[in-house]
Amino acid sequence: MDLSILVDQFASLTFDGISLGFIYVLIALGYTMVYGVLRLINFANSEVFMIGTFTTILVSTTLFNHTISSNTLTGVKLYYTLAAMLVGSMIVSGLVSVLIEIVAYRRLRSRTTNRLTPLISAIGISIVMAEGIRILTSSAPMGSPRLLEKTILATVWGGDIRLDNVLVIVSGIILLVTLDLFVNKTRLGKGIRAVSMDYDTSRLMGINLNKVISTTFLVGGLGTGAAAFFYITVYEVTRFSIGFELGLAAFTAAVLGGIGNIRGAFAGGIALGLIEMYSSAVFGTQWKSITAFVILVLVLLFKPSGVFGESLQQARV
Amino acid sequence: MTKNKVVAIATAVAFAAGTVVATAPSASSATTLKIAYQGPLTGPEAQTGTDGIRGVKLALDEYKKTNPKVNVVLFDGGDDQGDDAQGQTVGAGIAADPAVVGVLTAYSGPTIAALPSYKAAGIAIISPSATRASLTDPTSPSFGGPVFHRIVSNDDLQGPALVRVAINGVKNPAVFVVDDQSSYSTGLRDVVMPALGTILAGKDSAAKGITDFSATIAKVKKAKANVVIYTGYYADGAKFLKQLRDKGYKGIYAGGDGVLNSAFPKLAGVKAAEGARLTAPTVPLEVANPKSAAAFKKMFKADPGVYSTEAYDATRMFLQVITAGATTRAEVLAAVKKIKFKNSAGNTLTFQSSGDLSGSGLMNQFAVRKGKIVITGKA
Repeated sequence: MDLSILVDQFASLTFDGISLGFIYVLIALGYTMVYGVLRLINFANSEVFMIGTFTTILVSTTLFNHTISSNTLTGVKLYYTLAAMLVGSMIVSGLVSVLIEIVAYRRLRSRTTNRLTPLISAIGISIVMAEGIRILTSSAPMGSPRLLEKTILATVWGGDIRLDNVLVIVSGIILLVTLDLFVNKTRLGKGIRAVSMDYDTSRLMGINLNKVISTTFLVGGLGTGAAAFFYITVYEVTRFSIGFELGLAAFTAAVLGGIGNIRGAFAGGIALGLIEMYSSAVFGTQWKSITAFVILVLVLLFKPSGVFGESLQQARV
Repeated sequence: MTKNKVVAIATAVAFAAGTVVATAPSASSATTLKIAYQGPLTGPEAQTGTDGIRGVKLALDEYKKTNPKVNVVLFDGGDDQGDDAQGQTVGAGIAADPAVVGVLTAYSGPTIAALPSYKAAGIAIISPSATRASLTDPTSPSFGGPVFHRIVSNDDLQGPALVRVAINGVKNPAVFVVDDQSSYSTGLRDVVMPALGTILAGKDSAAKGITDFSATIAKVKKAKANVVIYTGYYADGAKFLKQLRDKGYKGIYAGGDGVLNSAFPKLAGVKAAEGARLTAPTVPLEVANPKSAAAFKKMFKADPGVYSTEAYDATRMFLQVITAGATTRAEVLAAVKKIKFKNSAGNTLTFQSSGDLSGSGLMNQFAVRKGKIVITGKA
């Protein structure tokens, strides 16, 4: 155990932790919003993320003909290529998420109130997607071309501020603010909050449930798609199994912050990113997952609904 | 009978019939023997498996052209993805096929997992690339005897060699060691650390498949290390090197034979990988035997890869004992133990009772130059 590294490399670890945390936040949103509305854990969200990462790479290699040994881009070309990759990933992930809702959950909603059946369906579709991509890629990882030069913008307190991490954090903040505005200020957002508050009364009030639920899945998918783009920008590699690895961490983050609660997803994601960084540095990287889950269990022991509590309601969002 | 009962009985019969069909042993003619290659044919380290299995196929193809009495073919399967856990299932599958009389195993971890199946079946193993020292150490729980043999030197030789190569020419070396918790990687690390002694600046363990090495790199920076030794495999080694360079690390990067692979410089990026130093107990086929290398290129339309030479030679060892009359597992195993074999480079090889080659070992050093791996001499 080495506590001195927290002092020596604090800025570096914190900055990396926040950057990783934002990726977790955006994936956690997919889990938290669907849970808020349907009380269902959308396990397939992790595979939506995985598909988003492959889409990001494919946009740059097929639409723009870059290869893994391409040079980095600058100027306008850089902006529109990155924008295309981000938008492509978000749209595909959003559509896949809506498709999953229609295929795996919609019929079950009308046929059963049993919570277990949609959960099993969620796990099933998650496995189908992961194995499908595994067969298509022969389990091989896919590398991404480096289009954004990872220049170090500044060094603060010994920690390097790198361009790609800044991109993740700034874009993450913009997306979260947009989501917050959407849920709080638009009519559809009000519908989402209403359904999460009381499902049956919302139906009685004439809210179009299918529209609200599809929108929830779409928004969750868009966020997850953005997370996929950021992940590829920073790590430049993906594999059929990263859905499971990151999805588990993001789900943990959502529960830690309070599942069903958007602010909870934000807090949980950032907290988990930092916890993973600090614990890996102090105890060793092999203890990363253990530390994260021990902290989760301890939090749930004392506050079972997570740090911010469970709900998408007006007062909490 | 009610409709439900009929459906239930029909389903049960269908299941039973399906199970019988699925487990029916494949019919194999008495004179067709099989050699199996157990290695990463898919997954992140598929390039190593591809390079190895091509060596096997080349040897079998040349053997077929001699119109032999006994037909020898390649076992269909054997993909363990380089994963310690999958080795057990794959090994059991190979051992269950009665036509298999010899196996080549690529990675140390999956070999150890598969050993119980091979030992029980008495199948001879000649490994072209499993270097973990404990496989030939009679006092170790993962001892492979009497079935395990290897045609390469082991990590007891590679550990000190890797240290020498890594710190060569470095003033005041401070070495940081990273492993990936796999059987091979921890074995190599356990030999490297004593060889480092006081110049060891720190160590960390990053599980195989991890994508974010930031915490490990923070430790490297804190330890002010100017040499990093990674004892795992190339897929993660490349990711680690790329992130090291992105965070401003300018020191030496060295790796063992798990990192040696033509895909390594591509995955890490040509600039990041420049100057990386590697060790391995292998000889490139172009250097060992240019004629065989040309035949390899003609057959696969690709260059020979890592351990292609050793896989080719190991298969030819099996074929030599089969040609001499050994056709059952017991006969093949006994013959392999006593074998005198001339390898591609022209050296005569024999095995010790532990399964290692007799004589002083061979260890070469390599470097990455402009995106290609070149041999730079003996280590």
